[in-house]
Amino acid sequence: MTEQAKVKRCAQLVEKSKEVIREAFRKFTLEELAITWTGGKDSTTTLWIIRQVCLENKIKLPKVMTIDEGDSFPEIHDFINKWAKEWKLDLEWCVNQDVIDAAGGKLNAIVKVKDLNERNQAEIKRIGYEEDTFPFEAESYVGNHLMKTVVFNQFIERYGVKGIFQGLRRDEQPARAQDVYFEHRQAAEMVPEHTRIKPILHFTERDIWDNIMVNKIPYCVLYEQGYRSLGARTTSAIAEAGVPAWQQDLEHTTERAGRRQDKEQMMDRLRKLGYM
Amino acid sequence: MKNVILLTIDTLRKDALGCYGNESELTPFIDSLQDKCIRFTRGQTTGPYTQASFPGILTSSYYLDYGKPKGLSPKRTLISEPVKQAGIVTAAFHSNPYLCDYLGWNRGWDIFYDSMEEEVSEKIPYIKGNVLNSKVAKWLTSHSKMGNKPFFLWLHYMDIHEPYVPERKYVDMVDSSITLTLDEMFLLFTEVLLKRDVSDDRKVKLLRKLYDAHVREVDDYIREFFATLEKLDLLRDTVIIITSDHGDEFGEHGGLSHDDKMYSELVDMPLLIYDPNQDKGEVCDSLVSNVDIPPTIVHLFGLDPVESFEGHSLLPLEDYPRKGCFGEAIDQRSQRGGDIEKDIYFYREQDLKVIYRANLDKWEMYDLKADTRELNNIIDTSPEAEELKSKLSPRVRRWLKG
Repeated sequence: MTEQAKVKRCAQLVEKSKEVIREAFRKFTLEELAITWTGGKDSTTTLWIIRQVCLENKIKLPKVMTIDEGDSFPEIHDFINKWAKEWKLDLEWCVNQDVIDAAGGKLNAIVKVKDLNERNQAEIKRIGYEEDTFPFEAESYVGNHLMKTVVFNQFIERYGVKGIFQGLRRDEQPARAQDVYFEHRQAAEMVPEHTRIKPILHFTERDIWDNIMVNKIPYCVLYEQGYRSLGARTTSAIAEAGVPAWQQDLEHTTERAGRRQDKEQMMDRLRKLGYM
Repeated sequence: MKNVILLTIDTLRKDALGCYGNESELTPFIDSLQDKCIRFTRGQTTGPYTQASFPGILTSSYYLDYGKPKGLSPKRTLISEPVKQAGIVTAAFHSNPYLCDYLGWNRGWDIFYDSMEEEVSEKIPYIKGNVLNSKVAKWLTSHSKMGNKPFFLWLHYMDIHEPYVPERKYVDMVDSSITLTLDEMFLLFTEVLLKRDVSDDRKVKLLRKLYDAHVREVDDYIREFFATLEKLDLLRDTVIIITSDHGDEFGEHGGLSHDDKMYSELVDMPLLIYDPNQDKGEVCDSLVSNVDIPPTIVHLFGLDPVESFEGHSLLPLEDYPRKGCFGEAIDQRSQRGGDIEKDIYFYREQDLKVIYRANLDKWEMYDLKADTRELNNIIDTSPEAEELKSKLSPRVRRWLKG
């Protein structure tokens, strides 16, 4: 693609996202909206586009939440803090402190379920985990639920959030091929009713990098080192060392190959089916 | 034919279906389709569990064809790939973790739903058939609105797979004297089935009844799925292949569930081809394999044959060659630990079957006509033993070399 064609395509992609964002502002009040931000390339792109819409329309940016899963890269922390200040974000760091305390702040520590507070115990029961202990890892089955899902749901509950922006893309996983821009979630046990808004659903991984370059959107330095997908520190792997993410063969290799969460989910299912 | 649907049912034994002689009326809907079906009476799977049999069903190749099994080898061709290349829309809906995108089964599908991002419970660790049905219905509805291009759909139900915790209404349909609560059923799973404990015949029989209740349940999901096709007016130009990946054992050879054995309760499979234009039911007694399914789909869409496929198209029936069937597996409980030393193979020709367990260097042979339960090993007395052994031997441990 020529540079000119790239610029044009990015403008079209961003415009589509802006339409989704403008619709969200029509559907919900500013107070009912929030933005999730991980410091990764997708949610940073989402945040950047929402900010453009707010600047254009002279409205305040909704509050931003970021989850500290207890095992994050210092580079991501620095990146988030730097741009939160620069962009004057109303940012909240969300964390499941109860679990970190029960683990003594140590990764891989064995956490006793009975040492947790009532809510966390109920959450463990809800997902059908029946052991008395679990290892403190952000992307194990229980860890992922407590450190991310629960923290996310509690944030929504705390602020009465009705619509929450997320940086998900359809091409990220085939399971998302049918995702829609506005995904309404009914209230369920310990999950408040809310709508997930996904303005960059139509971007591919390649589009994300093209757009970051074209619009000079900031990105975390880890991508320069070869990471393609950033999750927890101990479970994210460099895809190609020393090759910046945008220079890798994005079309023929898997973005999430370095992520362990998908494997954990599969292993958990197999265990429940009686295979472990 | 315009559209093809492959409907696979996890863990469904052939002998659980009424159309294959079961008298408990577990499959009234499937049975009612018989006047528009070709029913294959000697279908064989290529392995006794999902990882061993699905390479046959979706890639027309054998489990141990591409070295030590580890995810789906990129060298295999998934049936979705040539079909999609021909401009036909491909969609998959299932909930079996062994077939998830992480292991590479998502190639060639326009839509691939493997449910792996959903939360599931301990008792029902998969997305149920009725939920899959509604997802498929939603997709088919939007698909038919958008020009109704030809499609290939693969839909796989997990509901018969253990743990067996059927709803009350299905338990009642099978045996209303069973009063177990869901917790008690689950206890049978953890305490009897997982331990492969066949010492109490009463409990083994109870497990079979709970299994049967799930078969009855899945028959309802198939009925519901057909109703959707009817409603969208898709039934009249769609061929539907119905089969299972493997069976399940209830003490026939000293075990439970589906481990590395090659007896009929695990490797016999039901196989039906539903064709709306068929004017009467047909029965085919040829020995056929699940590796024949992908070439049949290729044939139905009128595409060029795929060279790497090991099977033959089942259609037209009169062109199907007479041949033997192979299957293979590795001890399921130790393979994850990398124990590749416990491999097992079978070869069947007509009604004779040889089984070879490599780690014990032990051969078995059965005459399935005279000895349907496979209890009388005739390897030392059958005049055909050497010939069958010589056909299976070259396959043994070939995968360690490649």
